[in-house]
Amino acid sequence: MAAVDEAEILFALIRHRYADRLDAAQLDDLRKTVEGLVRDLAALRAVKMADDQEPAQPFIPYRADS
Amino acid sequence: MTVAFRTIRELGADIRAGRVSPVALAEEALHRLDTVGRKLNAVVTLTRERALKQAHRAEEELKAGRDRGPLHGIPYGAKDLLATSGGIPTTWGAAPFKDRRFDFDATVIERLEHAGAVLVGKLAMVEFAGGMGYRQPNASFTGPGISPWAPDAWSGGSSSGSGSAVGAGCVPFAVGSETWGSILGPSTYCSITGLRPTYGRVSRHGAMALCWTLDKLGPMALTADDCGLVLDAIAGVDARDATSIDRPYRYDAGAARQFRFAVVRGTVDATEPGVRDTVAAALDTLKVLGSVEEITLPERPYEPMARIILWAEAASAGEQMIESGAIAGLTAPEDRVTPYARDVILAKDYLRALRLRGVVAREIDGVLRRFDAIVGPSRATAGPRLGAEFRSAIRGSFPDPLGAIGNAAGLPAVGVPCGLTAEGMPVGLQFMGRAWEENTILAAARAWQARTDFHRRRPPLA
Repeated sequence: MAAVDEAEILFALIRHRYADRLDAAQLDDLRKTVEGLVRDLAALRAVKMADDQEPAQPFIPYRADS
Repeated sequence: MTVAFRTIRELGADIRAGRVSPVALAEEALHRLDTVGRKLNAVVTLTRERALKQAHRAEEELKAGRDRGPLHGIPYGAKDLLATSGGIPTTWGAAPFKDRRFDFDATVIERLEHAGAVLVGKLAMVEFAGGMGYRQPNASFTGPGISPWAPDAWSGGSSSGSGSAVGAGCVPFAVGSETWGSILGPSTYCSITGLRPTYGRVSRHGAMALCWTLDKLGPMALTADDCGLVLDAIAGVDARDATSIDRPYRYDAGAARQFRFAVVRGTVDATEPGVRDTVAAALDTLKVLGSVEEITLPERPYEPMARIILWAEAASAGEQMIESGAIAGLTAPEDRVTPYARDVILAKDYLRALRLRGVVAREIDGVLRRFDAIVGPSRATAGPRLGAEFRSAIRGSFPDPLGAIGNAAGLPAVGVPCGLTAEGMPVGLQFMGRAWEENTILAAARAWQARTDFHRRRPPLA
């Protein structure tokens, strides 16, 4: 999917959720922000990664001290 | 005797020699914050009652021979995202929270109290620590932070007041926070020394959460030595912050030695011309302190990786404010809009950024194993003007691989003044080290400050 198409689709979701609280200029500003976001996502997705490369964020099981 | 532009060590010696009292220091710091600090929009709340109580106690304890260490009786300011008890507001720089009060102290505030330091003020900051996407300096209900180096120059953000209050000699040190650039940026623009500790070194309990896996609290002071003294007091594991690490820290102000520095190819050339020339000259001077080797890092989307982590976590941490529409009450027009864009980051993409972060953390550690520090510009720009949009790596309008790598990988960095542009605006040099190597980078920064006098130059607005 072309980046611009993805930006349009994602922007449509934002417009659906928040258009009632934003004016035309604000929506246009958001569209540009989403386009930049999609460029970042494209750069990230282009990195080849192995399945065993896990997120650098360990979950620690919780147990309250008695 | 004056508090202005005297280091923690100097003030400590003055107190113990009877040349000045903690109460007199607190009074003067309060006065300077109320006059000079307010002109720079550096102050949210003066904590006079608490300060004088702490200062009197310090005075009595020291007279009685109970010495709590180097910070005993020393005044300081705290970025206004640290919770404080006793009816003192904690505003996060945001108009909707300007009257909000907590009934507890953040761990950092507690530890500084235990060390005998005297809290004289809550310092101004960019609303929500800049996490809503601000693009220009007027993004706090206290007004844009002003650099003590020019009345129309920005102090930097988001630890704006911490930078300008120290830079203008109102307090010898302050606590700031960094998610991406919020300690090193204001330290640069206000020409002071700022330390971003390793992620997990300092408890975040009681601090506003912008991004849980990126936020760090750290000292901003006149010298690297002072930053070490403060870190010694605030570092350490905390049961109330599950991400704080049980790895004891003691500041080591040991003797100077020769260092091995690396410079990442392209990082100096990518800065503004005034910054580039100043940093290039600094790198020449640095050769006296050790070797300086140019290196190349693997090609990675460092900034996009850090941005996706930052935006996704900020969208979640600020969910209530954003979803409710309460961001409409923020000061910067762009902060009322930009957060909505982050709704569309997919979980899979956020996780991909976290996975890449693990790869990058291992790669950069492999590089840093051969060096004491990677050195480079603390900030790519100098003296952004108050009324204009600034360039920022967080928005993608400037490259900042060191900032992206350092913050995403949780690495410590210390920023030091390294000169002025032709227009008289401060430029900073950073030393970034391996995880947990604060003492190594502080030693390098101390050696730099023993060789240069940039940290002793005084700004015109002080």
